[in-house]
Amino acid sequence: MTYSSELIKGTLKTIVLKLLADNKKMYGYEITQKVKELTQDRIQITEGALYPTLHALEADKLVTTQTEYIGRRVRKYYSLSAAGKTVSKEKVSEMAAFMNTMALLLDLQPKTR
Amino acid sequence: MFTITDSHIDFILCDLRAKGIRIDDLQNNLLDHICILAEENLEDGDDFEMFYRSNIPRFYRQQLYEIEEETLFLLKRRKCFALLSRLQFFLLLFVLLIGPIICWTIATLGGPGQKNDADAIIRACEGGFVFSLFPLVTLLVLFLTPERFDPLIPKGARILLGWRPLVEIVRP
Repeated sequence: MTYSSELIKGTLKTIVLKLLADNKKMYGYEITQKVKELTQDRIQITEGALYPTLHALEADKLVTTQTEYIGRRVRKYYSLSAAGKTVSKEKVSEMAAFMNTMALLLDLQPKTR
Repeated sequence: MFTITDSHIDFILCDLRAKGIRIDDLQNNLLDHICILAEENLEDGDDFEMFYRSNIPRFYRQQLYEIEEETLFLLKRRKCFALLSRLQFFLLLFVLLIGPIICWTIATLGGPGQKNDADAIIRACEGGFVFSLFPLVTLLVLFLTPERFDPLIPKGARILLGWRPLVEIVRP
């Protein structure tokens, strides 16, 4: 089962920040493959969503970039800045709290009583 | 393993530009992504152009330049202080038009020379009717007939409010 793009869209920034927090530096294709691998193909990040997000994160100075030339190609590696590390922790905490709330709201957890 | 040549790179870059990708960084990211896909999925001697044409549609929903538009939108959104839907934008204009009349009404309530509050309200409504009727009707017409008379703010557009520019319409 794959999840709808609308569901993933709101969480993409958190996913990318968390992956970059766990891995020193990554490039776009690597991020898409890592997500596929970790979620056993259930979440597939599209290129159309990933690259705009990476550009926005760079403009917000949450990630820093390094470029590597492979012949005429340029590979851009992204890594978290100091501000990005803080935001990554905040986003992950926010997401965890949100998931707990949703679980309560949708009655997905057994009641304690 | 498939080897990407300079002519493949030229072909990809040329196609990306033709399809509306103009940001250099984005071009480079997409170029590298496509090259890796080809290297991992093709063998020497395979038809690169056919592979490219069958795989590029998975990058977008309708057109490739959606990626560039989304990038520009996210970059612009950082600078704005409000993101409004079309309905919210028209409601804001409505409030801006009618707001001064309401303020004037409140200010004149119980003021000197007023016989009573009802007089003040009636006079304010008369003033409001004269001064804001035409702009309000224009606003209503624009809101109800977006496709013919309001090509600047089509249905589904998003409106960014910032400083430079003050108002920016992002088309759907």
